[in-house]
Amino acid sequence: MAALSVLFAFGIVAGEATDRWFFGGALVGALLIAYSVIILLLRKMGVVGPRKSER
Amino acid sequence: MSVTAPPPRSPYGRLMTGVLRGTIKLDVVINRIYPSDFNPLYYTGGLANLFLFVLVVSGIFLFFYYEASLIGAFASVQYLTERVPYGGIVRGIHRYAADGFIVAVLLHVFRNWFTDRYLFARDNPWISGMFLLVFGGFVGFTGYQLVWDERAQALTAMFLAMLRTLPGGAWLARVFIGGSGISDATIVRALYLHIGPASALYILLWWHYTRLRHPKIWPPAVWVLFCVGLVFLLAGVIPALSGRPATPAAQPTAFPLDIFFLWPFWLMNWLGAAGIVVLLGVLTAAGFAIPYLGWRERPQEMDVRHAGVAQVIDGNCTGCELCYYDCPYNAIVMVPSPAPGFSRAAANRTLLAVVVESRCVECGICIGACPFEALELPKFLERDVRARVLEAVQA
Repeated sequence: MAALSVLFAFGIVAGEATDRWFFGGALVGALLIAYSVIILLLRKMGVVGPRKSER
Repeated sequence: MSVTAPPPRSPYGRLMTGVLRGTIKLDVVINRIYPSDFNPLYYTGGLANLFLFVLVVSGIFLFFYYEASLIGAFASVQYLTERVPYGGIVRGIHRYAADGFIVAVLLHVFRNWFTDRYLFARDNPWISGMFLLVFGGFVGFTGYQLVWDERAQALTAMFLAMLRTLPGGAWLARVFIGGSGISDATIVRALYLHIGPASALYILLWWHYTRLRHPKIWPPAVWVLFCVGLVFLLAGVIPALSGRPATPAAQPTAFPLDIFFLWPFWLMNWLGAAGIVVLLGVLTAAGFAIPYLGWRERPQEMDVRHAGVAQVIDGNCTGCELCYYDCPYNAIVMVPSPAPGFSRAAANRTLLAVVVESRCVECGICIGACPFEALELPKFLERDVRARVLEAVQA
């Protein structure tokens, strides 16, 4: 997911450089969704999570 | 006095009990996929609030480019979409966030309906929530008007047909379009009827929250990122575009339909203007009446409201505010203490808890919150609990 996010970030820059605003905007969305999946996976793996008192 | 609530007697009660069980089972299934603190069904209200925030921010951007006139409206939206950097994306975000708002609000309504969260003191958030839904739907309709393409022209004509079926409809139609025919005033009024009720949504939200102690007004980060990402993605992949510009000679008979906002206009194909007015009136009245229909069991039948309004034992209250923070109904307020308490812990208090009787639903949460035995349900004392436990064990 992290590698995919980097790809999306390059796509955003490419969209901006070529004035393809819809393409760039869509990739901003894809990047945010990738981040949300990363957070979910980290949480499922137990890397991040609620404080001990909330478990 | 029985230990468990009696089974529902009415068919509606049995149906709603079945739906409640189904909703809880769905929660269990989703909690296996997501951690329970990420379950989106726990944050339907927060998700609606998130989409509303996105709508406000993107709407402010769009407002700066919008020209409220018959000629300028379509042209300014086209300029924004095609010429302004990322203007088309912001327009798409505004459009898809509106759909997200309605979806989240409907999920919120059905979840709270199915889980009986409109009973007792919760009728207040229910009524304000119905106002939010009605206002949100109307704001969506006026948003489609503002583009002033052929679809907007057709929607305006269909809405005027609906208005004219009402008593005083001709006057209402004149007020809505600002005269006897479509003019610049129509667009100005559409803009006002878009922004005015949209601003009112925040006043309604204040009303919605005012009786809730711990409202979840914002979803977890994972859902903020996902939802904002989704509206960006949709705005880029399926751009929000205008149809052909509206002209007096145009008589469009078909147009793209946003099912979340424009379904009444679709149903007009079969029901006619008067039928849609009746349908919308019945649905709205039924929605507002749900807490008062009386089809659900009375509190006495549910065996839940027999404990008496919570009472503060003055001598024991330390003014610690734990009950104040734990009460989900905002039924406890803290006032300056007129005198010290009797117990050692309460001797130096500065505040005293007071129960607002009209808000108390006799749930007993404050009893559990208080470590100083300073609250009681007068008709459900500790000895009564002990007796019921013993009765249950012996049975």
